[in-house]
Amino acid sequence: MAIFLQLIASGVAVGMIYAAIAFGYQLTFATSKTLNFGQGEALALGALFGLTLAPFTGYWLMIPLVLVFGFALGAVVERLGVRPAVKIKSEYGWIMATIALGIIFRNVAENIWGRDDLKFPSPLPESAIQLGDIRVLPMELLIVGGALLMMLAVEIFNRKSIWGKAVVATSNDIDAAGLMGINTQRVITLSYSISAMTAAFAGVLVAPVTLTGATMGAVLALKAFAVAIIGGLESGLGVIVGGLILGIAETLTGFYISTGYKDVPGLILLLVVLSIRPVGLFGKAVIKKV
Amino acid sequence: MGALVCATALGLMPAQAADPIKIGVTGPYTGGSSSMGVSMRDGARLAAAEINKAGGVLGRPLLLVERDDEAKNEVGAQVAQELINKEKVVATLGFINTGVALAAQRFYQEAEIPVFNNVATGTIITNQFKEPDYDANYVFRNSAYDVLQAGMMVDEALAQGHKKIAVLADSTNYGQLGREDIEKYLATKGVKPVAVEKFNIKDVDMTAQLLKAQQAGADVILAYGIGPELAQVSNGMAKLGWKVPMITSWPSSMQSFIDIAGPNGNGVIMPQTFIEDQTLPRRKSFLESYYKSYGVTKIPTPVAGAQGYDSVFILAAAIKQAGSTDGAKIRAALENLNERVEGVITTYEKPFSAKDHNAISRNMVVFGKVQDGKIVYAKPEDAKNAGVVRLKEKSSN
Repeated sequence: MAIFLQLIASGVAVGMIYAAIAFGYQLTFATSKTLNFGQGEALALGALFGLTLAPFTGYWLMIPLVLVFGFALGAVVERLGVRPAVKIKSEYGWIMATIALGIIFRNVAENIWGRDDLKFPSPLPESAIQLGDIRVLPMELLIVGGALLMMLAVEIFNRKSIWGKAVVATSNDIDAAGLMGINTQRVITLSYSISAMTAAFAGVLVAPVTLTGATMGAVLALKAFAVAIIGGLESGLGVIVGGLILGIAETLTGFYISTGYKDVPGLILLLVVLSIRPVGLFGKAVIKKV
Repeated sequence: MGALVCATALGLMPAQAADPIKIGVTGPYTGGSSSMGVSMRDGARLAAAEINKAGGVLGRPLLLVERDDEAKNEVGAQVAQELINKEKVVATLGFINTGVALAAQRFYQEAEIPVFNNVATGTIITNQFKEPDYDANYVFRNSAYDVLQAGMMVDEALAQGHKKIAVLADSTNYGQLGREDIEKYLATKGVKPVAVEKFNIKDVDMTAQLLKAQQAGADVILAYGIGPELAQVSNGMAKLGWKVPMITSWPSSMQSFIDIAGPNGNGVIMPQTFIEDQTLPRRKSFLESYYKSYGVTKIPTPVAGAQGYDSVFILAAAIKQAGSTDGAKIRAALENLNERVEGVITTYEKPFSAKDHNAISRNMVVFGKVQDGKIVYAKPEDAKNAGVVRLKEKSSN
């Protein structure tokens, strides 16, 4: 039993890492039906930027600066990669453009920070704490708490602030929102900014546990993408559930079946969800009237 | 890069009217295994500079043509073709990654140009073009190959009295070939590992692998992988509060292991051909010039730096003996090298023969131990004998 709980605990920690990154996909998809395929690079840039700042500001003070950095980064991606494609009603232009920007960001990061995996100093003690039968790292608790808090903050922003309401309105019906006087273009920029901001925040959150480097986002962002598909691209709750499912499936498979097949059940689940419920477990099936 | 090549070329021009002898240097200078590649390259640069200062080889200076293979098999193959066909190198040194070596060295074999592995350890590397399938084998090596390391790791675990052995290996060519070597050697000792687990490059969480090993009652871990993931294994053990000895393949001496594992890495031991100690004058002068040239207090990956340095001297001696830059003649000279080449790892006396293309024999390899951010001798007797040059054992490979 203790083993099972330990596996679940580790699975939850890994799953929340995926969820935190997947959350960013969901934000931009809601407003513009586009995704930032450079989400992994936004994560890596956030973590590397934070790593550079941390010696001067300390871990906690560095976070707001990283948030500002991520916010600006998202706006740049939207302006350069997404808006031109959306303007000419290109269905795929934004895919290539965000991937291209991601590659550029990665190369820039490699030139500035090198391509070695770096150690990110942990703000919390690095020895595990005993909770009943299981052992967790303080940093893992911070990841779970931080990710939930971040999602909650974005939800509150969407529900309470005037800007957030504009985001929700745009998500529901972009044309109607436009007719109601909402500047939907700015709302889309905003959603990209918030999305990259959450990615950058996720970067500094997970960096002390994972390795930090220009390529740190590659594997994580891919897993997060699977999470977003499983959970549903339009649901905040969906990415949390999807992340937990994938993370726990990985650790349980690793232990009970084989560590060589660790990644397989998550991907099978992805295929099953796509064939049975393409909008994801928590996605809203919308009937498109043409 | 361009400026650098120009500067080297210009610097040599006035003194040497003769054409330089071009030697390819290929390795990952960027990416996860770059600390090995860069140490190797920097060691090779030092050696080439020393040789050129002393008048070069055959009256011609050595010119290192450095190419980044990014630890990618396909890039390595491209680099090989560029070095052979465009740069017309006389020989090539390098290869950190076993997969890259296997993908790239066949171009040298076909072109009959010697290729000298100074870091990659896959056992199969020097056997890829072995007799009798091929008339001549152009692949040489001065690193401790996997069978040798796997044997040392297993023997050490058994000597320490461990009976229940868990094997953890990464899912790359390197890790899986190493795991095979460990399992084969264990079988000859009549021991079956209690757990054999796999992990991927960039894996974040090692809980499942470690719990399986723990549940199987393992009392020692043999891990085959490179620095960052080996560090994640150490960190994972600390997280689970499970402490058993860990014996790894050589890359836990990488700086990335030391940085990422921090105090959790202390006590991990691994086979090493070279430990940064200054007992011998040859080693002392090498370390001093390395530290001074690159402004560091420690070689990022000492083994790679030392092997890179030595490989240039061995190759230079062979070119001298061959009296030409013809590939077949250099290969023949390497296989019957008359000069004693004093390197920093050992003094190479007939390092190769027609059958044996591995310069390193088991008696040259010691166990290193991670201790507070440095690699030191794991055993007091090795530390005491640090000043003894361990020559190659006859017919050991």
